[in-house]
Amino acid sequence: MKVFNLVITVIFITGMMSCTLDKTDYEAELSAVVTDEHEFEEAASFNSNGYQINLEALNGTLFKGYNELRFNITETASNQAVQNAEITFLPIRRDADEEAYSCPHGYEVTYDSTNDYYSSYAVFDYETATDASWEYYFSITIDDETFTVLQEITVEPQPNMNLNMTAFTGNDGEQYYIALIAPKSPSVAENELIAGIYKYDRPEAEIGSFPDPSQFSYSEVQNATLFLDPRMPEPSMGNHSSPNNQDLTQGDDGLYYGVVNYTMTGNWTLNFILQSSNGDVIKGTEVPTDFTPGVEGERGELHIDILF
Amino acid sequence: MRFLTITLLLLTIKMMGQEEDVPLDSIQELEEVEVTATIKKKIETAMKMNVSVDEFLASSDDISFIKRGAYAWEPLLNNMGMERSTITIDGMHIFGACTDKMDPVTSYVESNNLASVNITSGQEGSSHGATIAGNVDLKSKSTPFSMQSNWTGSYQTGFELNNKQFYNQGDIAYSSRNFVAEGSISYRSAENYSDGNDQEVDHSQYKKFNTSIGLAYKTSDLSSLRVDAIFDVAKDVGYPALPMDLWLSRAIITSATYKQFFQEGMVKAWDTKVYYNAIEHYMDDTTRPENLVHMDMPGWSTTYGLLTKLHLSKNRFNSEIQLNAYDNLSIAEMRMYPQDRSERTMFAYSWPWVTTQYAGFSMNNSLEVSEEGELNFGGSLGVNYNHSKYVDFNWIFYPGAPQEKTRWLPSLYTGYKQQVNQFDFSIGIGYGHRAPSVSEGYGYYIYNSFDRYDYIGNPDLKNEVSYELNASAGYSNEKFSLGVNVNYFYIQDYIIGRILSLGSPMNYQSVGVKGYTSLDYATLFNFSLNSSYAITHDLHWNGTLAYARGLDDDKGNLPFIRPLSYQTSLHYQSGAFGFQTTLNGDLEQEHYSPEYGEDLTPAYTILNLSADYTFKLNNYKTVLQVGAENVLNQYYSTYADWGNIPRMGRNFFASLQINF
Ligand SMILES: [Cu+2]
Repeated sequence: MKVFNLVITVIFITGMMSCTLDKTDYEAELSAVVTDEHEFEEAASFNSNGYQINLEALNGTLFKGYNELRFNITETASNQAVQNAEITFLPIRRDADEEAYSCPHGYEVTYDSTNDYYSSYAVFDYETATDASWEYYFSITIDDETFTVLQEITVEPQPNMNLNMTAFTGNDGEQYYIALIAPKSPSVAENELIAGIYKYDRPEAEIGSFPDPSQFSYSEVQNATLFLDPRMPEPSMGNHSSPNNQDLTQGDDGLYYGVVNYTMTGNWTLNFILQSSNGDVIKGTEVPTDFTPGVEGERGELHIDILF
Repeated sequence: MRFLTITLLLLTIKMMGQEEDVPLDSIQELEEVEVTATIKKKIETAMKMNVSVDEFLASSDDISFIKRGAYAWEPLLNNMGMERSTITIDGMHIFGACTDKMDPVTSYVESNNLASVNITSGQEGSSHGATIAGNVDLKSKSTPFSMQSNWTGSYQTGFELNNKQFYNQGDIAYSSRNFVAEGSISYRSAENYSDGNDQEVDHSQYKKFNTSIGLAYKTSDLSSLRVDAIFDVAKDVGYPALPMDLWLSRAIITSATYKQFFQEGMVKAWDTKVYYNAIEHYMDDTTRPENLVHMDMPGWSTTYGLLTKLHLSKNRFNSEIQLNAYDNLSIAEMRMYPQDRSERTMFAYSWPWVTTQYAGFSMNNSLEVSEEGELNFGGSLGVNYNHSKYVDFNWIFYPGAPQEKTRWLPSLYTGYKQQVNQFDFSIGIGYGHRAPSVSEGYGYYIYNSFDRYDYIGNPDLKNEVSYELNASAGYSNEKFSLGVNVNYFYIQDYIIGRILSLGSPMNYQSVGVKGYTSLDYATLFNFSLNSSYAITHDLHWNGTLAYARGLDDDKGNLPFIRPLSYQTSLHYQSGAFGFQTTLNGDLEQEHYSPEYGEDLTPAYTILNLSADYTFKLNNYKTVLQVGAENVLNQYYSTYADWGNIPRMGRNFFASLQINF
């Protein structure tokens, strides 16, 4: 009987033997190139006029591309949060010749009473470099008292290709920006694709004293359609695409919403055609749909590369 | 040659051959039941005494094969593939871990650990789980208890010249009054085979190691406990018809069985088994430098199950009531490597962690209406549950498809057999459902190199429903027998791949994407004719003719349907010498299906010869056999050879079997 028991034990252990090769940890696979940490953390904090202003951004860093920004204002003396401030802000980039440029941004900062913070956004089109230095101009009015703040900031390269952006001149000669907002961390799935589409408003007024917001005005493109054709550019994937994608249309919040299906992890190109509300193509070309194994997929004129 | 050493070691153990009658006592009944299980047909064919499991199954009229190389043929029962039949080992469910069907269940056993194969056609096989085509149950060897300690064993060795196949197989059994231990071990290795034009078929080599162990302990006069384990490893297996080979496939198949017999009352026996099996399967394309993309495609399949069975008998009524439950998890991954290996690899699941749980209750009854008439009836009711862990993959093609799905799978059949003098007749009907397979329901970009499409599973597929008619008629006397078998299946919501206008291929060889969809119906007709004649006492003739026709709802041909095929064999026995010859072939496959990548397969005829000699070697019964297959070295491929790969050309074989 002892032998018998022993043999049963051996069989049991053999049965439990682990596999020769380990299975892929899918969650780890998805976060291999894109971290899934998307917490708002303090990106900057400064004192002015007896107030402390905190700026929060995702992971506490400002990146090239779309940045959602959150502000808190506290009266330093009473340590009370200020909820009735009127804030405008203007990001300015200076190139090597000290020429000033801006980027799409929410000039009027609004107060979000449900979440108790002021919110805005900025779509940085350049990362900080020797020929590109960024600063914020804040104008804050609290109880009829206005003060301005100038704050230097650093824009880091975008580490997450899923939040890439592109800037281009449309067929109408205007300057446009498309910035990806979501999915931040895509998976092999149907992903809701959110993008911001902006346009530079050519100034009509004369240049006033710097910083003159009318010279640096951007607006959301209204009622356009962003046609989507996602493809894998990798030669061995032969211009592979995915089914059931939805073109992006504008939502109530001004952003553009659509659906992108990623059929596997890796490099993808989102080929776009931007069409204005009256049906004119602002930018973008159709890409070939043929399956061409061994040939790198052709990218359209308007596209953003992603990787996950 | 580690395996050979082990084999030889086993053989040097001193063995005593004893087959005397044992005195009667209360264990007699137990033995009787177990002995009947071992006296069934041996695992050998008319041509060869030492065969692989595939070769053995191929000798059955009901089974044909899709062949992707020299190894692990996919059995088709009634011209239906693995999804539509259940293949079990002693009733245990095992599911292959390969999305490309490189590993049917039959590839995880070896002929020397099997006692017999039970093939049940249609719904009569539903007691082993929901099926359309029927069930193939591989019965493993089970040595009965004996009154006196008793050793038995056998050793087989042989080689086949064409593909330099060598095999060594040994099995040994010890039985005593209350303890049985048995084991088997086998190792085969083969190189590439050559076709009828003497061209070597690249990537057709294989190596297979298989061992099994069984231990039984008699817990009382009328009860016993038995544990079994099979361990199978296939390594470096080529699949010439596929764009990939196999690096390693490993299976561990374990079970524990408790049997209780009853001397009085209607319940005669109760049989309960719990089992566990795990399969891992790793494909390899590094042997194919011509491939544009390097891919890793590992797969895993793990199954737990329970089987409990009551055997009832009263007067002329026999019944078997069975509860059958299992849980399977199937996982298959694919990782594609970009041409620039420093870039990110591309990953997806071909089987996104799909769980299948099944529980079924079934009954098989037979009632002897008279001396000549027997009524068989039964049925089962099963519940089948599927869960896809990473359902996101399925949502890409089927947005919003449910992550979980429960299906009820009923089955009913009845049949009547009547003997009229030397004639016998039978007629039967059946009705049954089956759930879609893991690939059909949840597969994701599974590349089919036959029609060159990527296949996508649909979680919302309806159950496939079969309505079946079968009939047979036979005549036999002392010298002559003739039998006809027909069956007809009307299969509603027949599951098959249809081109999707969505998406684009993922595998570089692929030309498009097909999704599993349901046809309104398909029909299948199978016919076979068997005859035997004893020309003289020593000279026997055997002949078979088989035909099948499968049509979809548009009267188009279904794929992999066997054309008219025939086999005729002669066996001559003269004392210790035996000679046999067979001639078999298919007619031209007129009814092929271009939609599924088939083309017209020409007719072929194959002639085989063998001779054997039985003698005593040190008092042990020894058989030596030599023979030749495809004697005329015909170049051919059959209707079910994947990608028309040619079959083996002329092959000489020799084998030796020693029984202790
Ligand atoms: Cu495989």
